[in-house]
Amino acid sequence: MEAVAKRNSVYLETFEASGARLREPSWLLERRKAAMDRFEAMGLPSRRMEAWRNNDFSAIVSRQSGLVAGGGESDAIDSPLSDVPLDACRLVFVDGDFCANRSTLGDLPRGISIRSLAESLESDDATLREHWGRHLAAPDAQPFVALNTALCRDGAVIRVAAGVAAERPIAVLFESSAAADRRLVVPRLLLVVEESAEIELIEVHHGVDGADYLSCPVTEIAVGENARVTHYRLLLEGAAAGHAGAVHASVSASGRFGAHSLALGGKLARTDLFANLDAPGAEVDLSGLYLAEDGQYLDHHTWVNHPREHGVSRQLFKGILKGKSETVFDGLVKVAEGAQKTDAQQQNRNLLLSRRATAHSNPRLEIYADDVKCSHGSTIGELDKDAVFYLQSRGIGAEEAQGLLTMAFVAEALDCVRIEALKDYERRLLFDRLPGGQSMLEGL
Amino acid sequence: MLTIKNLHATVDGKPILNGIDLTIEAGEVHAIMGPNGSGKSTLAKVLSGHPGYEVTAGEVLYKDGNLLDLAPEDRAREGVFLGFQYPVEIPGVSNVYFLKSAVNAIRKHRGEPELDAMDFLTLIKKRMKLVHMDESLMQRPVNAGFSGGEKKRNEILQMAVLEPALGVLDETDSGLDIDALKTVAGGVNALRSAERSFLLITHYQRLLNYVVPDYVHVLIQGRIVKSGGKELALELEQSGYALFRDTEAA
Repeated sequence: MEAVAKRNSVYLETFEASGARLREPSWLLERRKAAMDRFEAMGLPSRRMEAWRNNDFSAIVSRQSGLVAGGGESDAIDSPLSDVPLDACRLVFVDGDFCANRSTLGDLPRGISIRSLAESLESDDATLREHWGRHLAAPDAQPFVALNTALCRDGAVIRVAAGVAAERPIAVLFESSAAADRRLVVPRLLLVVEESAEIELIEVHHGVDGADYLSCPVTEIAVGENARVTHYRLLLEGAAAGHAGAVHASVSASGRFGAHSLALGGKLARTDLFANLDAPGAEVDLSGLYLAEDGQYLDHHTWVNHPREHGVSRQLFKGILKGKSETVFDGLVKVAEGAQKTDAQQQNRNLLLSRRATAHSNPRLEIYADDVKCSHGSTIGELDKDAVFYLQSRGIGAEEAQGLLTMAFVAEALDCVRIEALKDYERRLLFDRLPGGQSMLEGL
Repeated sequence: MLTIKNLHATVDGKPILNGIDLTIEAGEVHAIMGPNGSGKSTLAKVLSGHPGYEVTAGEVLYKDGNLLDLAPEDRAREGVFLGFQYPVEIPGVSNVYFLKSAVNAIRKHRGEPELDAMDFLTLIKKRMKLVHMDESLMQRPVNAGFSGGEKKRNEILQMAVLEPALGVLDETDSGLDIDALKTVAGGVNALRSAERSFLLITHYQRLLNYVVPDYVHVLIQGRIVKSGGKELALELEQSGYALFRDTEAA
């Protein structure tokens, strides 16, 4: 007989011990309880779960001792974006809690509301009731999403009223301080964009290098009919951190969802981008850039679902690998029966700057409709030696030539960033990590 | 300026250059002619430091130093320019950024101040007139989608901007129509000076009607089998290389 000694996770205690939740409305409590049960039933992702077979979070999780306490030393953090001339509303969270003195909301235009999640959770917020958890795809296969739903404490709830075009982007920064060491961070965002409204959201995850924390953020985005949402996500976690983040977007008829993911930080970091083209004529444009340095493991999973006709989706992900690093791009395009005239493209290109690096590229197309246009491309290669020599033969140093060609390789994906100041910032972050990058920066 | 002594080189272990001796003084224009596979392009690649070629014997002295000891970028910075037979396309890097990086790398090496964007554009515009190049090409990625003629003009433009001491042109004339050839030749002639030397590698005598060399050398099976003045090119035009092949075999 097999002894089944199922141990509860360290998080169940945290969940049960939380008293703050007593002030939450009952529907919310029920959902949280259900999510906690789901997490306990699923357990942590393991190689037994198909979608997680490449990742091993067990080492990071085994060092965890519960939820981050909050109230971290916010001044000790050198925040990203701080020197970027970005005209944006900024919301800063440190170790999970809203940090008012570092946030600058400015005058919000009419029709845009931003509330902290903590406040919304306790006040039976209408937006929350209507949308929270409603845009999550495949919740039964997402242990970290369940964990976030059960335990999240703060974050933001942003709503853009019908017809309103936000003039400035909203930047939300989640910072982890040294106090987050061996703790779980569970930020949560909800963005609801009503009919014909437009907004750009910048989501940044950043932490100090010394802290061994695990961040499991969840962002839900509801794109209304004919609305346009562009979401920029910057993964700049600390060098020892784990990250298992998810973005779930559902797009209504003629709505457009653009997402750009830059992944540079974290020791083991995975981003899941779910885009559901819920209604006819929806458009989704995903792009991503990842640069893995020695010892890093960076993973993007995309899940683009075409249940209805006339949907258009684009995916372009480019990866650079250095040292002994590993990356994954796993991209699903699913076209349901009846989703005729779907136009879906997916591209993943990887550049190995080291012989010791490993890139995995898994395009997955599941097509059940017959009148569709779908394509995908996947490459893993090295720098063109002839091009390196050509640049050298003109006096450009070997390192700089490699850096220049690497930047040329990512240019296409970098060009997907439409906010100029943000694009410059991303370029600078990349240059900092490339051979010869410093002299190229000077030459700009 | 350049002294090549008993130069031997291999590609993938296969001997291509089998003992080349050649001396080029400042201000001279030398032409090397030879049939396909004679080692012309290999000589150009070896002089510029291409990593795919291994020098197995001999030496190359350039400005009193050993050229073969230098990395490719340092050869360029010291004034050796290779005009490619097949210029490489580099998508994603604009021509203007590429050239500015090159100019400033070389200026830095010479201890000169780097050019700012304005000074650089002034320089470029002047040099572009020399090769009749359309300004729109500067914003396009390096050589990407350029016609054969545009690529070769781009090579000459780069040479005009980088102002080398020694220009090695590897079949820059191949595949050009007469107008493009005249433009390319005009660019080379405009750059000729008492300090600057050229090594023209060509398959066809036609180029030498427009760029008149001081010396012509015939390269067969990795060795210079005959050297002479410009009239040697005409002789070759009539007799072909067969004559020299026979000499070699005998």
